[in-house]
Amino acid sequence: MARIGVDEWVEQSDERSEDYDGLIGPVRRILDNMAPGLKLAIGAGLVALLPLFLQQGQVRIGVSILILAMLALGLNIVVGWAGLLDLGYVAFAGFGAYFYAAVASDQIPAHWPTALVLPVIVFLSGALGVLLSLASRRLAGDYLAILTLFFGLIFLELVRNFSRLPFVSEDFDPTGGPNGIPGVEPWSFFGFEINTFNRHYYLLLALLVLLMVGLHNLDKSRTGRAWRATRDDPLAAGHMTTPVNKVRLLAVAAGAAIAGFTGAAFAAVQVGVFPTNFALVFLITIYAAVILGGSGSIPGVVLGALVIGYLPELLRNPATASWLFYLGVSVALVARMRPWSRLAGVVGGLIAFGFGVRWLVKAIWIDVSSGEAAEGFLSGILDGWILILGDHRDIITNIAFVVAIGGALLAVLSTGWRQVFVLIPTLYLGILVWENRLVFEPSLTRQLLFGAMLVVMMAVRPQGLLGKKRVEIT
Amino acid sequence: MIRNRKPGLRVAVMIAVLALVAAACSPSDGTDTTEAAGDPTTTAGAAATTTEAPGTTVPAATTTEAPMAVCDGTIGSIIPITGPVAFIGEVQRNWSQYAVDVYNEEHGTAYEFVEGDNMFDVAQSSVLAAQIIDDGSIMALVGPAGSDQVDAAGAAFEQGDPTLTYISPSSTRVGITAKYAGLFRTVPTDDDQGPTSADFMIESGATKVFIIDDQSSYSTGLADIAAAALEAGGVEVTRESVAQDVTDFSALVGTIADDTDWVYLPWQVAANGQLLGNQLVEQGKEIPIFGSDGMDSGDFTIAGSVIAAFAPDISSVEESADLLEGFLAEYPETNTFGPPVFVAVTVIAEAYSRVCQSDGEITRAAVLAEVQATDQSSSILGQPIAFSADGDLIGGTFFFFEIQEDGTKVQLP
Amino acid sequence: MEFFLRQTINGLTLGSVYALLAIGYSMVYGILKLLNFAHGEVYMFGAFAGYGMLVMLGGPASPIVPVWLLIPLMFLAAIVVSIVVGVTMERFAYRPLRNSPRIAPLISAIGVSFFLQATALFLFSAGFRSYDAPDLIDISTGIAIGPVDVWLVRVLVIVVASTLMVLLTLWVNKSRTGKAVRAVSFDREAAEMMGIDVDRVVVVTFLIGSALAGVGGVMAGLVFGRIFSFMGFTAGLKAFTAAVVGGIGSIPGAMLGGLLIGMAESYTTAYISSTFQNLIVFSLLIIVLLVKPTGLLGKPELVKV
Repeated sequence: MARIGVDEWVEQSDERSEDYDGLIGPVRRILDNMAPGLKLAIGAGLVALLPLFLQQGQVRIGVSILILAMLALGLNIVVGWAGLLDLGYVAFAGFGAYFYAAVASDQIPAHWPTALVLPVIVFLSGALGVLLSLASRRLAGDYLAILTLFFGLIFLELVRNFSRLPFVSEDFDPTGGPNGIPGVEPWSFFGFEINTFNRHYYLLLALLVLLMVGLHNLDKSRTGRAWRATRDDPLAAGHMTTPVNKVRLLAVAAGAAIAGFTGAAFAAVQVGVFPTNFALVFLITIYAAVILGGSGSIPGVVLGALVIGYLPELLRNPATASWLFYLGVSVALVARMRPWSRLAGVVGGLIAFGFGVRWLVKAIWIDVSSGEAAEGFLSGILDGWILILGDHRDIITNIAFVVAIGGALLAVLSTGWRQVFVLIPTLYLGILVWENRLVFEPSLTRQLLFGAMLVVMMAVRPQGLLGKKRVEIT
Repeated sequence: MIRNRKPGLRVAVMIAVLALVAAACSPSDGTDTTEAAGDPTTTAGAAATTTEAPGTTVPAATTTEAPMAVCDGTIGSIIPITGPVAFIGEVQRNWSQYAVDVYNEEHGTAYEFVEGDNMFDVAQSSVLAAQIIDDGSIMALVGPAGSDQVDAAGAAFEQGDPTLTYISPSSTRVGITAKYAGLFRTVPTDDDQGPTSADFMIESGATKVFIIDDQSSYSTGLADIAAAALEAGGVEVTRESVAQDVTDFSALVGTIADDTDWVYLPWQVAANGQLLGNQLVEQGKEIPIFGSDGMDSGDFTIAGSVIAAFAPDISSVEESADLLEGFLAEYPETNTFGPPVFVAVTVIAEAYSRVCQSDGEITRAAVLAEVQATDQSSSILGQPIAFSADGDLIGGTFFFFEIQEDGTKVQLP
Repeated sequence: MEFFLRQTINGLTLGSVYALLAIGYSMVYGILKLLNFAHGEVYMFGAFAGYGMLVMLGGPASPIVPVWLLIPLMFLAAIVVSIVVGVTMERFAYRPLRNSPRIAPLISAIGVSFFLQATALFLFSAGFRSYDAPDLIDISTGIAIGPVDVWLVRVLVIVVASTLMVLLTLWVNKSRTGKAVRAVSFDREAAEMMGIDVDRVVVVTFLIGSALAGVGGVMAGLVFGRIFSFMGFTAGLKAFTAAVVGGIGSIPGAMLGGLLIGMAESYTTAYISSTFQNLIVFSLLIIVLLVKPTGLLGKPELVKV
């Protein structure tokens, strides 16, 4: 609702005062007025206490989340602050990982101490980013996306086939080909080895905090302002003496440097590096973290990484996955349906519909049997309501899935009571598909979720959870 | 118009975040996410947490004289149940569960099988391994399935708990058992497949062989070994390589000389092999294809080709016919990846029982020693089971099948 | 000579499929300045739809209708399904973002692509299906071009693709809607002010692009045999390369690019090495981007202040 001639800050003053209404208003005001350093300290302190209560397996998950957070912060510089779509980002992480693995194992005759390798990796990754950026200087945003995408793909091909290149001798194999480089040495500084999950956890946490502080300062500096300027309107920024190309170069290089460094950490934690580690799926995961959390916002991105990183673990266990599913559906409904009477209509109608279908099916078909719902806090309630299919499960769930998607799209388009009527069978079919198939297939659910999330976030809340709304001036 | 916009959304988001945090804090009652609730369609009524038949002594169906002590034991797994090779992982999981059920029934034990799905992803294998180390009830596990996953999980195990036993039912890469102390496998290695395949081709009178690998770690390793064996036998070898995601092989087929005797395809994706075979015919080249065990799947049906498999067709092994029948009564389908899993799980269960007998309780170190000392005189694979010092299967070998006109396979002697 | 001829025909076949896909990319980019990463998935669904029709009508070994009827029916099924997928994609994932920063629809496209791949995995699982075209039309039936015998299916693919491309060019240049499409690609706001219904034009563009991709999917299934849930990704990438090389936004460029990439793949494998096939094709793209960013037949984009 941009009114002409009104300053953005004044425009948003109503919104800002609204932010502090209601139950959680005072809490938000305190949080907003607290110095960011204090918030970070409290957050980091809480996180640092976690390993005392968690088992090693969970600490390992925590380490993965920390790595994802660092990668997301790097991507945030490129995508969130400078507005460049870098689809080859994961290749920088791969470069860092492979470089570290090569010199920290028996793969090649060279063997370097960690204190030497890490700065070299940061420098080289940054240089690689500069090179890529130079190559795309003349290209507009879309072309940069294409170029970086193909750079990422070329990296994968090279890593798999390096020793077979015609000008490389067969014996020199720094990447290990399709086998990767297993058995990498852990980071060690002057004899102190980072070889337990706890040590990895604390080191990475410390690095993450440092990174957050550094980036925060960068954001507030001239460079940060220059990045935002080139993102919002490169032509105007150029005319205001911002060296647009150099600024973009810096963004890509910074992102690449962070990615390379984190890649080295990744290799150390996994004790090895393999070509399949850096496929497109990983890139999408990092993007999901940035987009969900709020591109452009440091705490947002870290939050996004936390959610996206922990999601696969939640989905793995049918009980928590179900819980997540129902929570998600409820949140979506509660957030969107007004007035409350309509929401009640949907829920009530859904329950009735479920019983109706069950009765109908039992009366007519004998071969579709019902069993138990997956475990979860709702399973007891659901057992008597949902239909668990026996024969023909696959065909019925396939059809149900397609119809449910169609219904959901239709529901987005309709309003009023028509929406209620469309939503009820859609929700029922969705729950049917969930209970019968999706709950047991976490990798599929995760992929569906990421894809849907990217689309929905862009359409509904492009600034993510904690980002700030942006208006593009065209 | 000052309106409180979307309070619902904010409330909802707050609740979601709080709930997520709560979920994150909740799990630790000793169970963690590897203890999946188990597939509800299985008949096992036992809950996911380890319950126990109170010390009833059940007369064992086989050998023991004195009443057997009964111990708790869970068999873990790292297999690709979902993901790109779900058709392999599903079968592996079903056979694992079946093996546990059969063993429990026969011996009166109550061992549990727990699913661990790594989605065929290397990074997940590493994380899963860490979680399994934590789970005190798991004394040994089946998997991982792929050689690079073995590397990732193996590194985690070596660091976290080198006394943990893990038996891979399908990883054939040479050298990994020597690297990892706790690793065993119930399939022969590429060290066997390469030379035996080469011998087969040499014996058929070949003088020119064209080898194409698909740039995966499995394929290049096998291709290297086979090429070396062939060249040692005086055969002229041409090596080429093609990525798995290439759409069309016609150009590559065009480069295959007409007088080539065999095209050796150590590939993971059988359907690609089918396409290559069709295109060979299309371009008028009548060259038979020799496929590795990765090509042993319903997708590859070029008549006249030969494929290798690391297990015999167990429907031809008499003792196994009953087991196979029992399996197919409960589960929809099977393939060659199944029987080695059965062997692995049975070996573990046997080890559990022996440790239980001698020590009264099962510990990981004891299980490791017992598995190493396994000496079964017969198995579903039609061969005795024993492991070398490194952990490889002694006496494992590959079997060759020829594909007939109608698509079925016939085992060659 | 025979070798070269055969490789050329192989390249043309592959190139035809890529060209059909590349046209879709180019048209959508021309209209919306959007790189539709999910276009490959439309192609994949088309291939599966064709397969479904094939199976429904008896399967490749024993079809219940004659072959000359079966194949057009398969194309029809593919076209219908692809159009549904493509138009739905546009309506729900891209239209709401028409006025958002350019990065938004790109990310949305990535999300759609991911989602559709997951849907395909759900519906069809991870395995491969085979068209088994040799059962349908025996491999030995074909026509002879010089010393080389070409399988009938290959001829079919090349002929159908060429016909469609010719028809499309005629349509874009001669028909009213074609003119509208060209107008919107040139300047969306001006076209809107001249009374052209931009929404409708966008839908028509997606419709045609998706239909072509669907046809491409069936053709790929016929010639290359196997279809699987991830096939859209690689083919989409190559077709995308083709569109960019030819000049994204330009339809003749897409056709040229598609054929070029197909031939490049073929010749690379034949004369250089198949190991580096992908590497060389991708590098080709990078080189073209660096030397002539707008592609071979593309026009530089005018940035209005």
